[in-house]
Amino acid sequence: MTAMAKGSTGDGAPGAGALGSFGRYAGPATLILSSLAGGAKHGYALTKDVEAFSGVRLAPGTLYEALSRLEGQGLIEALDSEDRRRPYRLTAAGAMALRAHLDDQRRVADVGLRRLASNWGTS
Amino acid sequence: MTTPHEVSARRAARLLRWYPATWRDRYGDEFAELLIAEFAEQPTSWRRAADVARGGLLARLARAGLAGYQPESPEQVRAGLATAACAMAASGALGVAMWAQLATGWAWAPPAAAGPTIAMAAMSAAVLLLAALGLLAAVSLAWSAARALARRPARRALGGPLLLAVAGAGALAVGGHHFASAWPGSGAHPWAPHELLPAGVAAFGWAATLSVSAYWAHPAALAAFPGPEIAWMAVSPAALAAAVAGVAGLVRRLDLSPGILRYEAWLASSAAAAMAVFLSGACCWVLAEGSGPGLFHAGAIDAGSLAVMAVALVMAQRATGLARKAAPGARRR
Repeated sequence: MTAMAKGSTGDGAPGAGALGSFGRYAGPATLILSSLAGGAKHGYALTKDVEAFSGVRLAPGTLYEALSRLEGQGLIEALDSEDRRRPYRLTAAGAMALRAHLDDQRRVADVGLRRLASNWGTS
Repeated sequence: MTTPHEVSARRAARLLRWYPATWRDRYGDEFAELLIAEFAEQPTSWRRAADVARGGLLARLARAGLAGYQPESPEQVRAGLATAACAMAASGALGVAMWAQLATGWAWAPPAAAGPTIAMAAMSAAVLLLAALGLLAAVSLAWSAARALARRPARRALGGPLLLAVAGAGALAVGGHHFASAWPGSGAHPWAPHELLPAGVAAFGWAATLSVSAYWAHPAALAAFPGPEIAWMAVSPAALAAAVAGVAGLVRRLDLSPGILRYEAWLASSAAAAMAVFLSGACCWVLAEGSGPGLFHAGAIDAGSLAVMAVALVMAQRATGLARKAAPGARRR
């Protein structure tokens, strides 16, 4: 989380560090943004997609808590819909925030894997 | 014949009641559809029900400006300020009742122990500071309201809260002034040298918070009070509630400029710090010297007041902290 806060744009616009203020919702937020990076989805489709690629089942209350925060920060936006299921899509700011967050996570993962390989050998 | 879909829709509607109305207006339909799809897949799940309840309560806290900090959000600042105003009013009513009791005891005879003296000094300083901050906040709010009322569309939205605030505050002022003449400490000279504040201020505080009384638990003793006094004890909390609801409604509906929002958030934050000073003084009295003589004796109502004031302080600090972080332009400072 601190890595994300470090990336704040500082100009008030949602940007690279936007996920930093999500606290314990950064996990669900990352999963949702990653799912929406593949295209617009409504709530249930999001739940199924996230479960398929991560094995995490987002409960309805958690999903919508994260969705409302992401929408409030302009990282996703709701699309018009003819039925009651409203789809969401990633915004440009959301794509930038997701990319920065995943880059940070990849750096941490790379360091961890390198140290594991040098000190514990390869499995 | 009720279809399974109708049963699921009713279950979803019941779960949706955890959420505030504004949230339901925005997300209610799609959230209900998600729940119906989840019911079809897994008919019962306590974990899911608990998650929805937790999400609903968090949404209510966010609506009150107590959770879910979002940067550059005037709505969150207004919500936080309104909640802080409510918490401070509740704490203020209990605190002024406590302070007026000590001021009465002081007017009769200054305390011999150091505890009440230190407590009274801290509480009096905090009351003065809170009054000054409240005045500054009210002036800025009144100025913004007057400018907004000049525009026709705002009149309808602001008229109700404004009327409520003026009526509630007016009733408190008139009633407090009327019943202040019966103040038990009124025998002292207003500027007697042993008093920390003019007796008139303490008398008004005592009368305005007459309802904060242990007599409610003793109906026989309460029945011996004059009728108008009992009526005032019943009416004054409603007047205070109306005034606070009006002010909170105004804060929520007024389109305050970023500068005014930051200023009001700073004032509220300073008021929360003054509340902490007051609470420290009150704790010093109740916990250390509460078994003192006469009016310096602290009762169960004072201990209960301390607990409520502590909760109100936590709420006010949380709301003002988030409001300051969410204020437009706060990140650039």
